[in-house]
Amino acid sequence: MQEKAEIRSKYRLAMFLVGAYTIPFGIGIYTDNVIFDLQWLADLTTVLLNGIMQGGVYAMFAVGLTLIFGVMRIINVAHGEMVMLGAYLTWMFFFYVGIDPLLALFLTLPIAFVIGVLIQKLLLNAVIGGPELTPLLITFGLGLTIIHIVEAVFTTDYRTIPYAPDAFQITESIAVGRSKIISFVMASFISFSVFFFLKIHRIGKAIRATAQNADVAMVCGINIYNIYMITSGLAAALAVAGGALVSIQFGFNPETGILYTLQAFAIIVLGGRGHYIGALIGGIMLAVIESLISFMIPNGTAMVEIASYGLMVFVLLIRPRGLMGPKEN
Amino acid sequence: MAQKEHLRNFGMLAIFTIVLCVLPSQINLYLRSVIMFTMMYVVLSLSWNIISGYTGYVSFGHVMFYGIGAYATGILVVDYGWHWVPTLFVGVFVSFVVSQCIGYPVLRLKGPYFAIAMLGAAEGTRVVATVWESLTHGGLGIGLPNVENSFETYFAMLVVMLITIGVSYWVGHSRFGIRLNAIREDEIAAESMGINTTFYKLAAFGLSAIFPAAAGGIQAYKILYIDPETEFFILITIYMKLFALFGGKGTVIGPILGTFILYIVQEITWIEFPTAHLIAFGIFIILVARFMPRGLIGYAINRGWARKGMVH
Repeated sequence: MQEKAEIRSKYRLAMFLVGAYTIPFGIGIYTDNVIFDLQWLADLTTVLLNGIMQGGVYAMFAVGLTLIFGVMRIINVAHGEMVMLGAYLTWMFFFYVGIDPLLALFLTLPIAFVIGVLIQKLLLNAVIGGPELTPLLITFGLGLTIIHIVEAVFTTDYRTIPYAPDAFQITESIAVGRSKIISFVMASFISFSVFFFLKIHRIGKAIRATAQNADVAMVCGINIYNIYMITSGLAAALAVAGGALVSIQFGFNPETGILYTLQAFAIIVLGGRGHYIGALIGGIMLAVIESLISFMIPNGTAMVEIASYGLMVFVLLIRPRGLMGPKEN
Repeated sequence: MAQKEHLRNFGMLAIFTIVLCVLPSQINLYLRSVIMFTMMYVVLSLSWNIISGYTGYVSFGHVMFYGIGAYATGILVVDYGWHWVPTLFVGVFVSFVVSQCIGYPVLRLKGPYFAIAMLGAAEGTRVVATVWESLTHGGLGIGLPNVENSFETYFAMLVVMLITIGVSYWVGHSRFGIRLNAIREDEIAAESMGINTTFYKLAAFGLSAIFPAAAGGIQAYKILYIDPETEFFILITIYMKLFALFGGKGTVIGPILGTFILYIVQEITWIEFPTAHLIAFGIFIILVARFMPRGLIGYAINRGWARKGMVH
């Protein structure tokens, strides 16, 4: 019986995803945005490639959220604000010191790690295991504080970093922004280094053990509070790295953080909460569907935001485990 | 005993009402507006309290219903030439229908997932209000006809606030409210005791959706201009949540007290420090959630300053 329900929910999720990818095409055909000629196909390929490149970055900061959730069962609503903070840190180093945004990662990541550790030590350690809404409210207040501190310092103007703005021509008519390629490569590199860190390194193994069962991990001699702090720092570093890679592609202002929170949340719901590879796949899937929507639907860029909310709510309703998450208990 | 307490609470409310009735003719336009907006936030935080305090489903997107009410009034007054009072009822009705449609799937989610889904729903409604230009005039917003309306809106808001207080009081003292509390404490146990949890959750969600719509409609008529960014502003959700949490969620007096204290503090501070007061609010949320999870009222009860039954 249980297995049957399991298979049925898997089937429903697959149907839903197929539907979600077909709807933009349907609307595109309805509004005559789909013309089956060579130029259109080239455009479509461009859009899909851009989406995949974009997805790598989304996946990377979603991994931070999934790590925190997996280890501490906390949803960090301030995660998007950390992404935004990362973008501003990179911008600051770029404009005031003149450091290349990618080299600035060597400076911003340690800062982010310290911020994450401090947040964990001062705010979250005391409330783990309590009512699950307290950390939600605390991180929400933290996000609000970060937004308005950044706003007080940098104002609400949109900022951009002019970095590798030209396009890379793959063929005559297919082109991908160079900054997108660079950030995709960087994001994959960072994601996989963290993945191997979790798989191979001693601390990584301790993190995974704590995620599986904190009590048993404690009995085995792991100081779980240190692990919590390391996890939080790692997640903040991933968010800030995501911010750095986002900042060389798009403009940002203090209010953009909430969008990243929702995207990251949609990604970890789709991929499966607390699941690493799931988050990577979910990130690419979300980015592809977003770019499809903005390509197919007239006035679609405003609707992109709906994609993540819709995806998140429907996946939660159809199959709360997501693509590869652990069984709900 | 209970009779006496009801009588005392009713007396307090009557005094409160008389003061608020006499007040507007004695003060200037600015103070009248401030008190009107304070009453609006009383409505908002009390209705947030119904779903989040009594039922335990913390909503991060309650501004959605407020915005729907504001848009119902704006559209009907400007495009269809209605009088503004009947539009409030339309707004309330639309908001109720939307709350049931959204609530039916979303109330199945628990805890943080419900919170985030509501946040998404509110942002999604904002996007719809921006994109659906033929109905909502898109990002340009709607300008309402300019008339002097501070007395009308003041008394309308007073009526809405009294109804909200009455309904919250009823929820806090009836079987209905007890069932909601049972859902908050343990949903599975409540269900096994024979409570139709889906029905009660939806009813609580519907109740908490109609008053913000009325408040939103009145304030749209008051401030005369609405657009998606201000009507679906996430800060409004934050305010209602913070006021209710600060006063003490799950009680009637808590959100009222919290709003009257904090709204007036924020009204005084934001003129002086437009951004700093939001930083302070963020820190304040953290502190309240961390050290005063049950608000002023809970703090008073813990200290023995108030009896438990006295303050509901």
